Amino acid sequence: MRRVLLRLMNVMGPARAEREAEREIEAHLALIKEDFQARGMTEAEAQRRARLSLGGLQQVKERHGDARTIVWLDDARRDAGYGIRVLRRNPIFALTATASLAIGIGATATIFGAANALLLRTAPGVSEPDRLVEITETNGSFGIHPMSYPNLLDVRDRATTLEGVFGYDLNLRPMSLRVQGDAGAEAIFGDVVTMNYFTVLGVRAAIGRVFGAEDSERLDASPIVVLSDRFWERRFAKNSSVVGQTLRLNDHAFTIVGVAASDFHGTTVGSPDVWVPAGETPFVDRGYDAREFGWGLAGARLKPGVSVGHAAAEMNALARALARDYPAENRGLTLGVSRSSPIPAGLRLLVAGFLTFLMMLVSVVLAIACANVAGVLLARAAARRREMAIRLAIGAGRGRLVRQLLVETMVLFAVACAAGLWLAHGMTALLLSTLPAFPIPVDVSLPLDGRVTAFTIGVSLVTSLLSGLAPALHASKANVVDALKDGVQGAAERLRARHGFVVGQVAFSVLLVVTAGLLVRALGRASSVDQGFDPHGVEAVTLDLTLGGYTRESGPLFVRDLVGRVRELPGVQAAAAAFAAPNDRLTGFSLSIPGRTSPRGESSVQAVGNIVTPGFFATTRIEIVAGRDFNSDDGSARPVVIVGESAARQFWPGARVQDVLGREIVWNPFIDRSGQTAPPHAAFAGTTLTVVGVARDLRSSDAGDVRPFVYIPFQQQYSPDVTLLARTVHGERVANDLRTLIARMNPNLPIVSDRTLEEQTGPVVVQLRVAAAIAASVGAVGLLLAGIGIYGVTAYAVARRAREIGIRVAVGARRADVMALVIGEAMSLVAVGAGAGLLLASGVGHLLGRFLYGVPPLDPLTFASSALLFIAVGLIACYVPVRRAMRISAMEALRCD
Amino acid sequence: MSSERPDRSDRVELLQGTLDLIVLRALATMGPLHAYGIAARLEQVSDHPFTLNQGTLYPALVRLEQRGWIKGAWQKTEHNRDAKYYAITKAGTKALGREADRWRRLVGLVNKLLLAEPD
Repeated sequence: MRRVLLRLMNVMGPARAEREAEREIEAHLALIKEDFQARGMTEAEAQRRARLSLGGLQQVKERHGDARTIVWLDDARRDAGYGIRVLRRNPIFALTATASLAIGIGATATIFGAANALLLRTAPGVSEPDRLVEITETNGSFGIHPMSYPNLLDVRDRATTLEGVFGYDLNLRPMSLRVQGDAGAEAIFGDVVTMNYFTVLGVRAAIGRVFGAEDSERLDASPIVVLSDRFWERRFAKNSSVVGQTLRLNDHAFTIVGVAASDFHGTTVGSPDVWVPAGETPFVDRGYDAREFGWGLAGARLKPGVSVGHAAAEMNALARALARDYPAENRGLTLGVSRSSPIPAGLRLLVAGFLTFLMMLVSVVLAIACANVAGVLLARAAARRREMAIRLAIGAGRGRLVRQLLVETMVLFAVACAAGLWLAHGMTALLLSTLPAFPIPVDVSLPLDGRVTAFTIGVSLVTSLLSGLAPALHASKANVVDALKDGVQGAAERLRARHGFVVGQVAFSVLLVVTAGLLVRALGRASSVDQGFDPHGVEAVTLDLTLGGYTRESGPLFVRDLVGRVRELPGVQAAAAAFAAPNDRLTGFSLSIPGRTSPRGESSVQAVGNIVTPGFFATTRIEIVAGRDFNSDDGSARPVVIVGESAARQFWPGARVQDVLGREIVWNPFIDRSGQTAPPHAAFAGTTLTVVGVARDLRSSDAGDVRPFVYIPFQQQYSPDVTLLARTVHGERVANDLRTLIARMNPNLPIVSDRTLEEQTGPVVVQLRVAAAIAASVGAVGLLLAGIGIYGVTAYAVARRAREIGIRVAVGARRADVMALVIGEAMSLVAVGAGAGLLLASGVGHLLGRFLYGVPPLDPLTFASSALLFIAVGLIACYVPVRRAMRISAMEALRCD
Repeated sequence: MSSERPDRSDRVELLQGTLDLIVLRALATMGPLHAYGIAARLEQVSDHPFTLNQGTLYPALVRLEQRGWIKGAWQKTEHNRDAKYYAITKAGTKALGREADRWRRLVGLVNKLLLAEPD
């Protein structure tokens, strides 16, 4: 050990040890000389004999060195030093290579950082994250969905491989916070969790305490709440006297028992302001005793030593038992176990798919950068062939030479890796800035932790080996005799390899540029697509009427009053309220058409629906093509409905829109198994509705397809979830006026979110925007690198063929001929590369398919303009070499050796 | 570069590892010596013309020093020159005993084998 340490120290600080050795050898020589002189030799003779008996000074030093250090490590240090010197001598190459590699490495690090933060790690702030798992419930065709509360309790009580099972709500719940002295209520977001949530996660309190065993799970227990650190800071400036005070949430008094530790933001990306224990939320109308009702997500901690597979086996058996015990509610029930991550299991595949696509994009640019570096290294390898041949001739091993060249490449990649990690910080911020504002507080910090750093270093190492190996092997393959003679041999092979790299660079850049083009076109189409309504200048304010204490009886009156007052606000042209804005996620309805069964024999048809007040169509400018809008007389007495055009076509095939008026639809009882935002239907089931109007279809900017729509009047069907829509005359914002108005009407009613319809974008559009931004940036980098590659290989070709060109000029070739020769060679590479790239891109186009919003996968505009772009880049890259070639004179050719 | 080539002459070739033993022995009997002193001592005690390439001493000295068996320090010679004197350490003395023992056993074994085999 001591020896290894000493040797390592000598590798690190060889200069000192070498000086010491030199001094010792000098002293030794002096001693021998002295001795020989004492025996009567002349000084010169003594000097010579002294050196002889010591056996070659340099050899001694080397032997000294060999014993002193770990040889290969010392070699590596020397090679690295040499590599740095070589890079310093070629600053342009070093700069472009490092910059391009750093961008590629930084981009992959950024995407991996996102994947790591969202999918691979457990949410921060929990103890022993390795043992945390999620328990996912699937049921028949519904996919992963929330678990019912009774099922959760059964899993908790029966599981033997799990230490603790907790439940929490995936969707953060808006809550109305009323603070004495404030004008209105503020909407904050809370998560409803089981009482053991914090104890199983191992999250401690910063002050006070978290929920614990002493808290009763009884529904009538006195309400308590735990604050998040951020909320504590934002609302109470970290004042520790809040513990024990009351917080008025949804007009109920909750006692603050403590603040959770500052690094804990919840188990998912949603970052709640407060945590409220399940069972004691009087305003939560969710069934705690309904086994068929999806309540929330389940998490658990494995007992020490239990593997995920082991727990999964038990859950499998447990699911069968639950299905047997409660066949009606749990038919087809399965339970799965997976490691916990901030993105819950049901969404993981979606996020993973998107990140994989982004990773592919950035890997392509890294590949281009590597090809660029490999091409230049290959050219350098050619120049160093003679050096290598000499070293081979005097006995250096080929392995040693390959190692030296690889170490040189690795120096380059090490610098690029460091720069890439640094860049990744900025790129992560950039990536986050392309995301829209979230309607709920989220924790999307993407820390570059140890795993990301290790990944980045690994990527750099692998890519450096990949791009350094070919040139290194090639350079060290020098045939000693041939290489020393003239060094021409191997040129053809090398040229082929270099051309290969350039073709690859062009192909991959074309791929990126076409992908970026397709995505940008799709984004343009998605944002300009006629959605069937006019989103410009419409303010949308979302309310949850239960937060203001409204009921089925008082709610409709309040909404009518509110809409009436909003219409009178200055600047407001039209106003209405609806269950959801036209570009929101709408709810599904199940309907029957009397006298008609579907081809598959089912009597019910599915439609998406909205619940709207009169004036909705005027406010959103959805055209009514036949019949009329709802009016204040429509109500429960004579239930009515307005259908979309495609719904009309689908329900009554062949009927003209005018004929549809007056026809009838029957509302089916509908159980929303997923427990997602669906208005209560029960009171309304079985009602027959008369069609009074036909509206233009809506085209969702996300799906791009048209679904059958139905609209129900708000007076007829109450919904506590309400979005207030106000169209202003000149598109001015009236959010503040609305806020004041609502606070005046009901100080307890908070605004859950406000936005304009224009800025509201669906998740697919967001993904498209992120993907387009990334593809466009990496495409630009790829384009630049391809240009540099073409330039490099063309300039090299001109230099190599200077003599040939000179001879051609001498025998009468015109400048145009020379130009054609050089450009022809370069452009043939571009053509081959672009061809391959377009072929690859057509595959990507098909892969993107439905995300392209009807932009054809082989969009002629995108493909043609990309091809033109590359012809232009190729010509620009050739410009300098062509100029150089055209200036070659016959004389020069003769002079050049 | 890194491989040690055997010397061609009629010099007595040292078996791998024996040089360490010889150096330790010399330092144990003579007290602290510099590299040249060690070389001179080796020449002196060998009745055979044992001319050591003095350069080969260095790897052995470094090796021994790294093992902590000898320790080097700069001192003045009797002619007032700087030289690095090596002295055997406690660990070195112990190692010498061990190594010498092993050497004797090895020599005994080789001798036995040589005597048993007819020429």
